Amino acid sequence: MLDISNRPSSPHFDAPQLVTTPPLLRATGLHKRYGRIEAVVDVNVEAYAGEVVGIVGESGSGKSTVLRLLNLEDTPDSGTYTLDLPGMADQDLYALDRFARRTIQIMNIGVVYQNPHLGLRMRFTSSGNVAERLLIAGERSFATLRQAARESLATSEFPLDRMDDPPRVLSGGMQQRVQLAKALALKPALLLLDEPTTGLDVSVQALVLDTLKQLQRERHMTIVLVSHDLGVIRTLADRVMVMRHGRVVEQGLTDQILEDPQNAYTQQLVHAKL
Amino acid sequence: MTLQELAQPRQDYSYAFMDAYAKRELRRRILKAIAIPGYQVPYASRELPIARGWGTGGLQVSLSLVGPESVVKVIDQGADDSVNAANLRRFIVRMSGAQTTTDTTKATILQSRHRIPEEIMGEGQALVLQVPDPEPLRGVTADMSKAAQLHADMDYGQMWLLLYEQLVRYRQYIQGASYPSLVNRRYVISPSPIPRWDTPKLHQAAHLTLLSAGREKRLYAVPPYTDVQPLEFSDVPFQIENQQGWVCQTTGIENKFMNELPQADGTSQYELSDSGYAEKLASTGTTDATYYDDQGHFYHAGYLKPPVLPTL
Amino acid sequence: MYVATRGGEEAIQHAEQLYKAMIGKLTRENIQVIQQQLPYLLDKVMGEGSLYAPELAALALAQTGGDVYEAVLLLRAYRSTQPRIAYAAPISPDNVLTVRRISASFKDIPGGQILGPTLDYSHRLLRLDVLDGLSEDDTAAVEADTPASPTYPAVADWLRSQNLLSPVEMQQIDPVAIPDVTTDAVLFPAPRAHRLQALARADTGGVLALGYASMRGYGLIHPTVNELRLGHAEVEMTHPLTGVPFSAGRVRVSQGEVITSGEKNGYQLGFAATLGWNEIKLIAASTLDLEMNNREPHPAHSEEFVMYHTESVEASGFCIHFKLPHYVTFASSMDSVRKVISTFYSSEAPATPSSDLETIRQVQP
Repeated sequence: MLDISNRPSSPHFDAPQLVTTPPLLRATGLHKRYGRIEAVVDVNVEAYAGEVVGIVGESGSGKSTVLRLLNLEDTPDSGTYTLDLPGMADQDLYALDRFARRTIQIMNIGVVYQNPHLGLRMRFTSSGNVAERLLIAGERSFATLRQAARESLATSEFPLDRMDDPPRVLSGGMQQRVQLAKALALKPALLLLDEPTTGLDVSVQALVLDTLKQLQRERHMTIVLVSHDLGVIRTLADRVMVMRHGRVVEQGLTDQILEDPQNAYTQQLVHAKL
Repeated sequence: MTLQELAQPRQDYSYAFMDAYAKRELRRRILKAIAIPGYQVPYASRELPIARGWGTGGLQVSLSLVGPESVVKVIDQGADDSVNAANLRRFIVRMSGAQTTTDTTKATILQSRHRIPEEIMGEGQALVLQVPDPEPLRGVTADMSKAAQLHADMDYGQMWLLLYEQLVRYRQYIQGASYPSLVNRRYVISPSPIPRWDTPKLHQAAHLTLLSAGREKRLYAVPPYTDVQPLEFSDVPFQIENQQGWVCQTTGIENKFMNELPQADGTSQYELSDSGYAEKLASTGTTDATYYDDQGHFYHAGYLKPPVLPTL
Repeated sequence: MYVATRGGEEAIQHAEQLYKAMIGKLTRENIQVIQQQLPYLLDKVMGEGSLYAPELAALALAQTGGDVYEAVLLLRAYRSTQPRIAYAAPISPDNVLTVRRISASFKDIPGGQILGPTLDYSHRLLRLDVLDGLSEDDTAAVEADTPASPTYPAVADWLRSQNLLSPVEMQQIDPVAIPDVTTDAVLFPAPRAHRLQALARADTGGVLALGYASMRGYGLIHPTVNELRLGHAEVEMTHPLTGVPFSAGRVRVSQGEVITSGEKNGYQLGFAATLGWNEIKLIAASTLDLEMNNREPHPAHSEEFVMYHTESVEASGFCIHFKLPHYVTFASSMDSVRKVISTFYSSEAPATPSSDLETIRQVQP
């Protein structure tokens, strides 16, 4: 039986210090083409433990494809991907077979999609959606499943008296919280967020972002966040990569990029949005 | 030389009805199924003079195994005399010249629809179960190709999720017969529409169990001495049907699977479902060893556990 | 009682006796009449039965009192027990004695529009004079001065020469190596041979229902019947010792194709063929052949859905199997239902389950 209570948490940071550990996530030379469209061209992504990396760009920039590749949903035409975790430190995940990739994805990566229909089973209970992750990982105690679902939903600031409501009857913001709870169910090292608040009412967006910030601070989660919304990037991301037509055109500290963009496209983006 | 001279004299039927090529193919598929316990082996199912859905899958297996020395028992819902069982038995005998019996312990091939008999079957016996729907993941996806992928990935998460939802909604598993079970810790199967009472009999059995769906064209096997576990959460045990206190009106015994017979006054009477067992009891006063003893204890101690009402 | 009494076998025999009394004596003469006067019914049964044997098809129909599904099952079952002697040579349309050939794509085509024997343009009126014994023998057909050609050029070839239809590559393949849906395990995506064979022997009603749904607008197809042919084909075999080809007889065959536009490179063609003459099946099946290349979500787009559910013997058999006793599974289900009721509706525990949740099904019925 799987015991997830003793899973190692991310390393703890005090005041900023020189980082001597290798990055948790390192993807290099990612190329992905769909038919004639080059969705991703020579993209590198790095994220250190406890850091939030934002990927910003307009639709068609390739940012969602990058996220799918990082979520091991798809394999690139070329490129490597390593996660610095026990047992797989130097292993290129794309070189593994689909079964091994799936296992690693379940145990170590959580994902929240913009469209809750992609990430949730709308007609099952919300608690069941969360429990499914544990079930796939092999948990077989009903009491443990209930407890883990409660904890995860509570962490996502979802009201527990509605834990058995199906997502179908919940508001958009609540649905995203269920997605978040599901993503966190196995206490993964890496969280991937694809436009997590896009489409929500502004006030609801703020609440969900608050939860994410809180979470990130308390648990020092490593997050890769995709958004076209610079406000969201500014709120959450430590570093940001700007993508356009499948390529990274600029990257750096969030404040730097948003206050003083060097690349012409980034400038356009920043001035248009803020 | 004419076509007439070249071909063999016209026979109305091949031995055991199916042509030699078909029998050979079936046997090879059966061997593959035994080699991979619980795996659904696709096969080219032949039509037989019995409608699809009426046991052609089980029949194809029985016809591939039968020989003149075989001893065949056929039951439906536990009864040898049910019209469907009688029909199938007549056909097998007519096509093979095998002998028949109603005694479970004497059959070399026991074809059954929806029941496993009460007396323990031994090594060298083959139980052939008729399967309408071989796919336990039918509730998860209707698409056979998708289901095959899930089995290949051992991805049973959605299946477990269905059971979780049942507990949340009903506080118990609501599956009646056809209770999904894990074979050899690898493949989840539908054990065919046998009642939950019968599902434990598959676990570490001395006999070979073959399950075949003619219309859906899949067959699978539980080899002797193989682990079979009905899907259950570790803290909410699987339950067989509650027939406590049901006394057979003919034989007076309890703790064997009963048919419920509605009475005109709104009450129920009960009788043994396993007619061969009832017959033996009536004629000799005793039977061979049974899976459940007279007090209703299953012969593998500790396999069945008392019910737990889960808290939410 | 219906079940579980001694004499189950006796009950069957009596039931069969009642049936025989109902339909009356079977004679060679009756069967010959069926064979002679009901060729389309025979063709339906032989096509779905995957067995070309007119006399046996007529017998099957007589024996089952005209129950087509039962007759098809009889032929299929008989087929299962016959030894396979050889594979005949594949039939080429150029070698089929074609008696009817029409195209809806053009008013006139090379070789002409040949109506052949058809009731297409007749008035659908019951010939009551026959029942009154007043009809005359009107079966004489006048021979034409010039005989019609036995073969016709393909309309599709003309379209290809105009680059309106993509060319076809003829595969050289040993007949023995062609996938055979009756002896291979069928998995998806299916090889084209399996698909076409499945359609050839599919239930006409099932194919019609799904084809009609496509034509009505659920699908993308607005089909034009490019060509429809009815004819007689030689069953050509090779003598196993001398290697000389010879004809083992003739069978009625028919084929049809529909075309539809939708791609940038011209028309797409859907094809169907079957033993016997069955025009409804050809048009609907060739439409489905095209539809099955599309993506979901419509059932007619799914090869798996179409092939599974247009299988006559399986569909009808499974449908009627629900007549069989199911009392053990029902007993098990009653146990579950009773337990749930007692959990939620007993006097101690009046709680009701949430109605927001969909009905939770059992994992299997």
